[in-house]
Amino acid sequence: MTLRDLRYKLDKKEIGAVELTQEYLQKIKERDGVIKSYITVCQDGAIAQAKAAQTVIDAGNSKPLTGIPLSVKDNICTEGVRTTCASRMLEDFVPPYNATAIEKLNAENYVMLGKTNMDEFAMGGSSQTSYFGGPKNPYSIDRVTGGSSGGAAAAVAAGFCAAALGSDTGGSVRQPSAFCGVTGLKPTYGAVSRWGLIAFASSLDQIGVVANNAFDTGYILNTIHGYDENDATSSAAAKGGYTKLVGSDISKLRIGVPKEFLDGSSDEVKAAVLKAADFYKSLGCEIIECSLPSLEYAVSAYYLISSAEAASNLSRFDGIKYGSRSGLGEDFNELIKNSRREGFGDEVKRRIMLGNYALCSGYYDAYYNNARRIRTQIRKEYAAIFEKCDVILTPTAPTTAYKIGCQENDPVKMYLADICTVTVNIAGLPAISTTCGYDLDGMPIGMSLTGKAFDERTIIAVCDRFEKDFERKECMR
Amino acid sequence: MNYQPVMGLEIHCELLTSSKVFCTCRNEFGGGANTRVCPRCSGMPGTLPLLNKGAVRLAAKAGFATNCTVNNYSAFDRKNYFYPDLPKAYQITQFDSPICTDGYIDVTGGRRIRINRIHIEEDAGKLVHDDYEGVSMADYNRCGVPLIEIVTEPDFRSIEEVQDFVVQIGSRLKYAGVCDARMEQGSLRVDVNISLMPYGSNEFGTRAEIKNLNSVKSIGRAIAYEIQRQSEILDKGGKVLQETRRYNENHDDTKAMRSKEEAHDYRYFPEPDIPPVLFTDEEIDAIRREMPEMPHRRFERYTESYGLPDEDAKLILAQKEFSDFYDEAVKIMPEYKLISNLMLGEISRLINETGRDITELNISPADVAEVAKMAADGAVSKGSAKEIITILFNEGGKPEEIARSKGFIMSNDTSGLDAVIDEVLATNADAVEKYKAGNDKLFGFIMGQAIKACGKGANPGLIKKTLSQKLK
Amino acid sequence: MFDPNRTAHLAELSKLEFTDEELLKMTKDMTDIIALMDKVCDFNPEIKPYTLDSVDYDDLRGDTYKESYPNSEILKNAKNTKNDSFVVPKVV
Repeated sequence: MTLRDLRYKLDKKEIGAVELTQEYLQKIKERDGVIKSYITVCQDGAIAQAKAAQTVIDAGNSKPLTGIPLSVKDNICTEGVRTTCASRMLEDFVPPYNATAIEKLNAENYVMLGKTNMDEFAMGGSSQTSYFGGPKNPYSIDRVTGGSSGGAAAAVAAGFCAAALGSDTGGSVRQPSAFCGVTGLKPTYGAVSRWGLIAFASSLDQIGVVANNAFDTGYILNTIHGYDENDATSSAAAKGGYTKLVGSDISKLRIGVPKEFLDGSSDEVKAAVLKAADFYKSLGCEIIECSLPSLEYAVSAYYLISSAEAASNLSRFDGIKYGSRSGLGEDFNELIKNSRREGFGDEVKRRIMLGNYALCSGYYDAYYNNARRIRTQIRKEYAAIFEKCDVILTPTAPTTAYKIGCQENDPVKMYLADICTVTVNIAGLPAISTTCGYDLDGMPIGMSLTGKAFDERTIIAVCDRFEKDFERKECMR
Repeated sequence: MNYQPVMGLEIHCELLTSSKVFCTCRNEFGGGANTRVCPRCSGMPGTLPLLNKGAVRLAAKAGFATNCTVNNYSAFDRKNYFYPDLPKAYQITQFDSPICTDGYIDVTGGRRIRINRIHIEEDAGKLVHDDYEGVSMADYNRCGVPLIEIVTEPDFRSIEEVQDFVVQIGSRLKYAGVCDARMEQGSLRVDVNISLMPYGSNEFGTRAEIKNLNSVKSIGRAIAYEIQRQSEILDKGGKVLQETRRYNENHDDTKAMRSKEEAHDYRYFPEPDIPPVLFTDEEIDAIRREMPEMPHRRFERYTESYGLPDEDAKLILAQKEFSDFYDEAVKIMPEYKLISNLMLGEISRLINETGRDITELNISPADVAEVAKMAADGAVSKGSAKEIITILFNEGGKPEEIARSKGFIMSNDTSGLDAVIDEVLATNADAVEKYKAGNDKLFGFIMGQAIKACGKGANPGLIKKTLSQKLK
Repeated sequence: MFDPNRTAHLAELSKLEFTDEELLKMTKDMTDIIALMDKVCDFNPEIKPYTLDSVDYDDLRGDTYKESYPNSEILKNAKNTKNDSFVVPKVV
């Protein structure tokens, strides 16, 4: 069932908005104690929104998302609802304003069920760095959800929301979607306003969507996209109509498969992605082997750029204006160090240290500037691929979801696992991940389709076509 | 030993925009604590800066006012440091690609001071110290107030040059509408870098930076103190430390500010939230065309073309609106000296007495031009011209009508004159006698009596002519 | 290549504080991480570092002000306020 089907049911009064919301809240209440996909559940707020939505529906004025219960990642500011970034630093932070994406959802009278769990400040690929305790994978609760939008992906997979807003800086929507067997869309940089998205790495961050299927990701993007005067990096090139090509003929498309991405992936992942390529070939698509030679530099460049920006973005957390603070301290220096010592977890501290290393005098050119050079080069290499391809097919992650506790404490291993997703952020492109198989343990395998800038509609259509013929396994719903 | 001082300036100027540089809060001075603050300028998580077009425009104007190149491409960077008046813990500024570069100003004595760059940045908040409680209180009203920083080369060699430069910058920026240049309010803030070297040397010494200079006078005193201090150190064979010093007006000295343990490492990098700004040549030219004539150019015009004394020219130029008024008046009636006299005399007196601005007087440049024309044509006397200005101010009306109705129009009719003057000569027979005996000075006295007797419409020229004939 | 002194210097720049034990752990982590980052150091210096696409001057935000937020909203997340201001330890 798609969100459009749900819209139909709500408009036909086959189900009431309040009833629908209550169903979700009930499921969360019963089962999220184990999964921990939510940090904050908005029991009363959701019901109130659902009632308001029902009034709109009854008046015949419903919009695409009226009365549809969604979850929101806890790094997206929601007026009056605490927004923690899964950090002790922001444990009690209640924003006085809404993110633009939230304003756009509100304008359609959506329902916000709550704020989802994540890696602290979105820094991680497991969601296990959450101050509130990491979420668990609904396919196997001893495994990670992936991250950083792990709560969002788990919530969608477990049926705790109809769809979810996440954010993607280096794969944070796509990789957990792959790990939890759902669909995740990272739009083009600038397609969705970043106003109200608590910054991790400003030049890479993008709000994205986790949903049950490709159509739904486009359905929600139709509402939240667009140039925003509050975000100078948002773009008027984001024009909507993201579900328009769903169902259209894709047999003439050229699909590039860059070999470097497959080389580093596990055999099971590789086999599943190649099988997906065969599926497209059987439809008539041209499969083109291509190359992104600078992929070997991508992880390092990504970590240098994102950590440098993060070190600066997170400097504002000093315990004065908001956030944790342990007494005044002797002087400003002591107060700020105490606050940050208590407020930040280990991974956040590592990123801040790395970022300042990349920026500090004497190292800036060797590290930060070279990372920017690599960024230029990767963008060029993508442009070259898109001269002969329409979309690019890659694995979403080199492996499937691993057991909790097995690699989250090895930062280098964690960083290297981002190899398949970071280049898309470096190049600012849109990409969508969907399930293309299961490993021997029954864990979902994700594949990603990357498109040209602002051409989300094509990858959504190509992804949807695959999903139409692919049977997903149910998790613990 | 005497040393050659070498100085360079960094001047911060608050721009006269309506809104702050990266948010829509009002850009104003004063007000209750944290009343002009929004999530953006208080650095709340999730907020993004929005560059103000007006700030870019005024920064470009500052460039034109100081002979800079206004660049087609300029970009923003983050300067990272922790301080409680800086809520984001970074200042958005321009590091690699400033908006203006390579300008200059010629200072008194004729030397040319090169300007390295002018860049746009944001101001920080204010801390109020509560000594009793031992805490500080942060007010973010000033956070995000748009600033330009003007950075000169170390081209200054004397206190006079520095002071003249600062006065000129203030005046030019006021003329350009860029900054109100009120040093005492902090809208123009000057930091001086100063080092000494032996005369004849080409090698600069170690410099100290002096902050907290809030008047042109303080600048002079602080530099004088610093020259003395550094000379004494060098004379003893010591080394001047590279440090930041604060000038204390009450003690008339400079003291080192507490030095940070670590050397500053601001970790500049490109601001990812603000795209670089592209200025087309057409846009740059359009802003250039908005520039008013700068005060130093007007000074040349007033003194060289109009023949005004330097002092009068300076007085007219002290305020742009006053100078604009003068320019408008002389455009209508090119009586440069007459109009200058009326404005520096009667009109200045009225401004001082009423505390009003020249733009608030109910006298227009056209009125002054008309009064000047009447005086120049001999329709009214110069003394009457002043009186007409006062009447205009007090009662309103039109200069010519006032002149007519109040009897200021000088009569050219000599018919009645003879009789009146004969009577004056008769009444003052004694003085006439003495004059004729050779006391030339008494002509003035007799003339005065004659003017009084003839009334205000009389033509002093005619009276003088008649009198001269009769006294032969 | 990464010694505890350098970690301590970076910690000061980052306004972070570590116990001796934590400092050693962080030094080890940083050594491993920087080894991975060193990959970029030999990259082609001829390539221009990436910058954001520029915007035209004319498209910038017009200079008009709007009402600010009530200061209660600005101050409400702070742990320590006084006289409508944020209280901070005294800075000299």
